[in-house]
Amino acid sequence: MIRTLSTRRSRVPLAVLALAPLALAAACTENADPGDSGDPRVLAVASTADGCELSSTEAPAGTLTFDVTNAGDDVTEFYLLDSDGLRILGEVENVAPNTSAKLTVNVGAGDYVTACKPGMVGDGIRGDFTVAASDDDGSAPSASDSELVEQAQTNYAAYVEDQADQLLTGTTEFAALVKARDDEAARALYPQARQHWERIETVAESFGTLDPEMDLREADLEPGQEWTGWHVLEKDLWPEDATDYTALTDEQRATLADKLVADTETLVELVNAPDMTYPIDFIANGSRGLLDEVATGKITGEEEAWSHTDLWDFQANVDGARVAYEGVRPIVLENDADLAAELDEEFADLQTLLDAQREGDGFVSYDTVGEDQRGELSDAVNALSEPLSRLTAAVVA
Amino acid sequence: MLASYLIGLREGLEAALVVSVLVAYLVKTGRSALLWKIWVGVGLAVAVSLAFGAVLTFGPRGLTFEAQEAIGGSLSIVAVCFVTWMIFWMAGNARSLAGELRGQIDSAAGGNPLALVVIAVLAVGREGLETALIVWSTTRSVTGTGTVDGLPTWEPLAGVALGLATAVVLGVLIYKGAVTLNLTVFFTWTGAFLVLVAGGVLAYGVHDLQEARFLPGLHSLAWDVTSWYDASSVYAAVLKGVFNFSPQTTWLEATVWVLYVVPVMFLFLRAVRRRPTGAVRPADPTPTKETA
Repeated sequence: MIRTLSTRRSRVPLAVLALAPLALAAACTENADPGDSGDPRVLAVASTADGCELSSTEAPAGTLTFDVTNAGDDVTEFYLLDSDGLRILGEVENVAPNTSAKLTVNVGAGDYVTACKPGMVGDGIRGDFTVAASDDDGSAPSASDSELVEQAQTNYAAYVEDQADQLLTGTTEFAALVKARDDEAARALYPQARQHWERIETVAESFGTLDPEMDLREADLEPGQEWTGWHVLEKDLWPEDATDYTALTDEQRATLADKLVADTETLVELVNAPDMTYPIDFIANGSRGLLDEVATGKITGEEEAWSHTDLWDFQANVDGARVAYEGVRPIVLENDADLAAELDEEFADLQTLLDAQREGDGFVSYDTVGEDQRGELSDAVNALSEPLSRLTAAVVA
Repeated sequence: MLASYLIGLREGLEAALVVSVLVAYLVKTGRSALLWKIWVGVGLAVAVSLAFGAVLTFGPRGLTFEAQEAIGGSLSIVAVCFVTWMIFWMAGNARSLAGELRGQIDSAAGGNPLALVVIAVLAVGREGLETALIVWSTTRSVTGTGTVDGLPTWEPLAGVALGLATAVVLGVLIYKGAVTLNLTVFFTWTGAFLVLVAGGVLAYGVHDLQEARFLPGLHSLAWDVTSWYDASSVYAAVLKGVFNFSPQTTWLEATVWVLYVVPVMFLFLRAVRRRPTGAVRPADPTPTKETA
């Protein structure tokens, strides 16, 4: 029996050994370097005696690489677990102090838990981790993809430049009316000029102090901060709701109006700079960012506290969000056609609700919009916000 | 430094033990001429592991977690088969040796020219790829890649290397001790010891497959001694390295371990203790047909 065993067993494992390199080759996956690029599928993990820091707690679905660096004194381990915190999707063990090791694992969309186990015992230091849906499995974008990306970037840059130019025209005219104390004409122009601002607000916000200097609301004023920009003039044009309000002098109006024009000129200069580019994820994030502006400022009526022209801004934010989305839509169609269909529908639904508030060539005053209608608008914004939050992942994928 | 050292020790210990027992066996039975097969197997496993590890660490492609588990799990089970065969092969030869049929056994051993090479390959190669990945990732620290502060350091690499060297030294010591034992004692103890080692390897393989969810029950623990068991300690490294002891052992692991160790140990001890039967069991020139 013993010798029979020996001869029978010796052959099977040899075959296994011969096949092992083939299996290895088939199971190989791309090595990624967390140092370079902004590859969202490459994450750095810093494991210490009492910490487990990830460079990001979100990633698009596909082949993820966790580069685990051990900054503690004990050997550590890193786990990716399912949302129940039990099922192991991937682990890397034996990470010695002051070294790093990589975990490469294929992950679908969903909620997960990460855990570092310094000292190799216990449940480890856990954290939540989210993987966004994506049709892509981590392979490099195809040639047609990069063409689409380039086109989206070019188109968006042109849109921003155009809006900035129109903003400058409107602002210059508005400033002249304000200085001439032609308040009725200034009030009529105010929301029209501002819509060009609201359409590209996320771009303006990326230029540091420009946004607070031009668009700060009184409620957001810090102690000691000088209030300048659109909303100071707004209050002066619509002083009805203000208590104990002292009107601006001619001199004050002139200074504020001139500064607003000068700041707008700076903005135009910045967006026209030859090195100004808009990465594809910036465009996608901007779309969501503009809708967030709606949810936080316009729905509540805080943005235009004196003029109540919030619906103009609302519409302009939605315009900007839709243009940004439509620019990247060809990419979304390729990566996640369902998401594109959902976004198309939600944008249309929101627009229908907004159109119901139109009056003449503008909108009704927001203070005449009842709680029910505000609630409807708010619901529509939220319904759009959810799929929009998945836009970046679908575009970058 | 100590942490890196214990990793090296743990990874190297099991391979060092199996190889040293095998070498001691060949030397004791006067077949040092076959030793080259062991060294070829060891060399092959080390070279292949290091090469694959280097390609996976520095090359453009890495290995997925699933693939690592599949390789680790399947190699473990193949290794258990081979170590089991080796135990009974030694036990069978021990009986025959006692019956002074040395010549026939030599020819029997010669009938499996690759078996010794394969055992050595598996003993070293089972943990080889994982160890190679550890070694190569620690060499990255030498250039400052992957270290916390980005500064180069030799410490982790030196630690792992010293740990592996210690495992080899322990292997040599066991070999020296083993060759001084009398034959019966040697076979009984090394064989019984290897049954426990193989049981641990099997349980480890089962744990791998549970982690990869090919098998259920990862969280049904038979025992959990992590409250007092220091996994970063020297004794933990030795227990893990030799017996693959896990402070959190699942019911399936424990069950498989018992189902393997109890019958195999029983059969092994029976085989070793059976009276020499050389007179009624003449050497068979075609051993594959023999059914004892």
